[in-house]
Amino acid sequence: MKKLYTLTTLLLTLLVIAPFSCKDITGGEELFPLTPTNVDANAGTWLPDITTSYPVFGLPAPAATNSAAYLAELANIKSIQSKLTTEQRKTIEYWSVGGVLRWNQVFRKLVAKYNLPPAPNADGSYPAPDAENPFNDPQFPFANPPYAARAYSYVSVAMYDALRAVWYYKDLYKSTRPDSPYEADNGIQALMPKIDLPPYPSEEATMSGAAAEMLKILFPASVEEITRLAADQRNAAKWAGKATDSDISAGLALGKAVATAMTANSTGLFTIPGVSGSSTTTLNVTLASRGRLRTDGIGNAIGTSAQWAALTDSAKVHLTKAGRDITNEIFWKSLDAPARPPMLPFFGNVAAWKMTKADITKERMAIAVPPSTSSQQMRDELAELKRYATNVTREQIAIGHKWADGAGTYAPPGHWNDIAEEYIRDAKFSEVRAARAFALLNMAMHDAAVACWHTKYYYFNPRPSQLDPSIKTTTGMPNFPSYVSGHSTFSAAAANVLSYLFPTKSIEFNAMAEEASLSRLYGAIHYRSDIEEGKKLGKKVGDYTVNFGQTDGAN
Amino acid sequence: MKRLVLAFAALLALNQLSAQTLTDGLLMPKKDFCTGILFTTDQWKNYWEGSLKRDNQNIGTITTTQLTGMGAYGITDRLNVIAMVPYIKTSASGGTLTGLDGIQDLTIGLKYNFFKREISAGTFLSASGVGSFSTPLTNYTPDFLPLSIGLASTTLTGRLNINIKFANGLYINESTGYAWRSNVSLDRPSYFTDGNIYYTNQVWMPNQIISTYCVGYHKNAWQTEINLTQQNTLGGGDIRRQDMPFVSNRMNFLKLGIMGMYYLPKPQGLAVRAQVDYTLDGINVGQATTLTAGLFYTFHFAKKANQ
Repeated sequence: MKKLYTLTTLLLTLLVIAPFSCKDITGGEELFPLTPTNVDANAGTWLPDITTSYPVFGLPAPAATNSAAYLAELANIKSIQSKLTTEQRKTIEYWSVGGVLRWNQVFRKLVAKYNLPPAPNADGSYPAPDAENPFNDPQFPFANPPYAARAYSYVSVAMYDALRAVWYYKDLYKSTRPDSPYEADNGIQALMPKIDLPPYPSEEATMSGAAAEMLKILFPASVEEITRLAADQRNAAKWAGKATDSDISAGLALGKAVATAMTANSTGLFTIPGVSGSSTTTLNVTLASRGRLRTDGIGNAIGTSAQWAALTDSAKVHLTKAGRDITNEIFWKSLDAPARPPMLPFFGNVAAWKMTKADITKERMAIAVPPSTSSQQMRDELAELKRYATNVTREQIAIGHKWADGAGTYAPPGHWNDIAEEYIRDAKFSEVRAARAFALLNMAMHDAAVACWHTKYYYFNPRPSQLDPSIKTTTGMPNFPSYVSGHSTFSAAAANVLSYLFPTKSIEFNAMAEEASLSRLYGAIHYRSDIEEGKKLGKKVGDYTVNFGQTDGAN
Repeated sequence: MKRLVLAFAALLALNQLSAQTLTDGLLMPKKDFCTGILFTTDQWKNYWEGSLKRDNQNIGTITTTQLTGMGAYGITDRLNVIAMVPYIKTSASGGTLTGLDGIQDLTIGLKYNFFKREISAGTFLSASGVGSFSTPLTNYTPDFLPLSIGLASTTLTGRLNINIKFANGLYINESTGYAWRSNVSLDRPSYFTDGNIYYTNQVWMPNQIISTYCVGYHKNAWQTEINLTQQNTLGGGDIRRQDMPFVSNRMNFLKLGIMGMYYLPKPQGLAVRAQVDYTLDGINVGQATTLTAGLFYTFHFAKKANQ
């Protein structure tokens, strides 16, 4: 009896103590030092996402390996390695998992940081985020789902383009500088996994330049964090014995040049310096056109109050054209209080990556016209939502929250990057192939955002809670029209591209996309037809990117 | 955040019951068993987003109603065990978000009086140590604040209570507790808080220090009291501008409460109480007004033996 009592006491004590024994949060997703299964030495020949011809950058050949300058760079690495601090070793370790994966995590963090809508003014109006005053309240940008989709795609494409340029020049200059520092000098250790590629130009430096230049434009208030990370990545390559100052300055200039080509707000000659220690590489790049980021139409995506007021009338015209009697039709209204201007109503006019405007129209026409708000179908769909709103199970709430990706998060496109990260990690892709995977994924999701937003504002369909205010939701109500579901469109497009990249995992991706889509039904914020048609639209949008991927020379 | 306010309002409420609370200086005699039911309604319209006080039409007024069953038992004259379980229901008057409801956390506490001395005629100084443990009884979500019914953290609290009771019925209580809070799990794989993104569903919960101070009068059938409760969370991020609250936010508040209790002459052992609490100041919590009504009954199992 006494034994039992002691045992029970012990067990209870353990039960009570257990939850407190390990409170440390490790930060999540484990990444490992990257040793690619294939270095993809020919990646310089893969088809570009944007029209970039690498010779235009005119990267000069590196100094000879027996030059005094190069020998001094090697000596510099040896000197640094002889007194590496713990902090420096941590930086090396942090970046040794692969720059593409790390920067992808950083993009997601920045989106989560800036994915907050402006708070209302006292008079019920809303201030607009101001790119010229990004530290203000409201902060700039409001990285909502379409903005995030576009941002992820630009940074991913810039990283990929820059890395293909690196691979091109590595191949071009492989006989001038064939060896990595740790091969060129026995006294230099390789503190990152050895990769069988020439060191010039440094891929780490290129990634740091491309990512930082893009991110500083997209998230200007985070300039300090971005700049620090970029410098860390270059330092890590040097401290690890993987790149010398001249490898780094060349790589940095190249990365910045690719970003400049994408973001330049004027044309003509650009002088782009890359500096590392005693080495400076200067590229003189002549750009015939402004960067894509400046000319894709994002500036008109918000619109004006007069344009917002005209959305209902244009939707009436569209439905009439589709043969609909619009007498009793109800159109979207903001359910935010106070009523908020619609989220990026003209994002549907922003340039897509792999689809033309005609393609967008064609795919919108290929899916159904949303059911009339006075139809029996709509009454049935509302009744279904009312059931979810009233009898939602704990498991359905969990699915709703798992995929909500609402304000303050990395948004649905970020969730799919999060998913992709683990598959890319496990596949041990080379940096350039990993960058390609993210570029394809994010181009497809940007195109999904364009097609979805085009459709949403074309029909301007109301949310369930607008038609029936008694429908209460277990997730936040998005401030844009219902048809078609953004989650469904993003997820179907993403699952399509990921299934192309990882064909044996297709069933998993499609199951995730299905769950993400249904999560909006469980949350009572989307009708079933929004979801079913959104999935069709997303799948079609994804096909455009997959078709490109199949012919880009990477397979 | 609201729920925390509530949970502690409940604790505070219990706190004032003579000889049956986690935070006062009194104990119930051996083999006395007190059982009670508390009805609490708590409302707030304004809240502190970080330290910025504001309202939000997308939630309107948040109302939380709570029904708490509790019991306290005198194991010895110096050792009491106390337990309570609340059922909680939340709702928002504005916007589209749904309220939630369910059984929340079980709290079990042990109070041991290790010091009692008559410091002058009729004036007693006593001190007690309290250990309490609380854990969710249901799988509710803590990730739907301010409409979640709780924070779903398992909590261990250690308290020191000091009490001075004067011969004329006046008393002073001071109780300070340190709460260790376990990590909580979310339904999502990533979250952003306190300037960082976390790629995990596990959330680190900062610990808390909770202090209550009260001055009261208890003579014959009447007890009345005024009290202040201060909760300080030792870490955690602020609610960002126009963001929703998050489970590990730094939730601090200072609350003022007034309580009255009456021990009915008949049937003997029955008592009623009423309490009002008001949040004077806070960070990442609602400015709540809380009304509590309670009914208690005490059984004297040792009566016969004593006679």
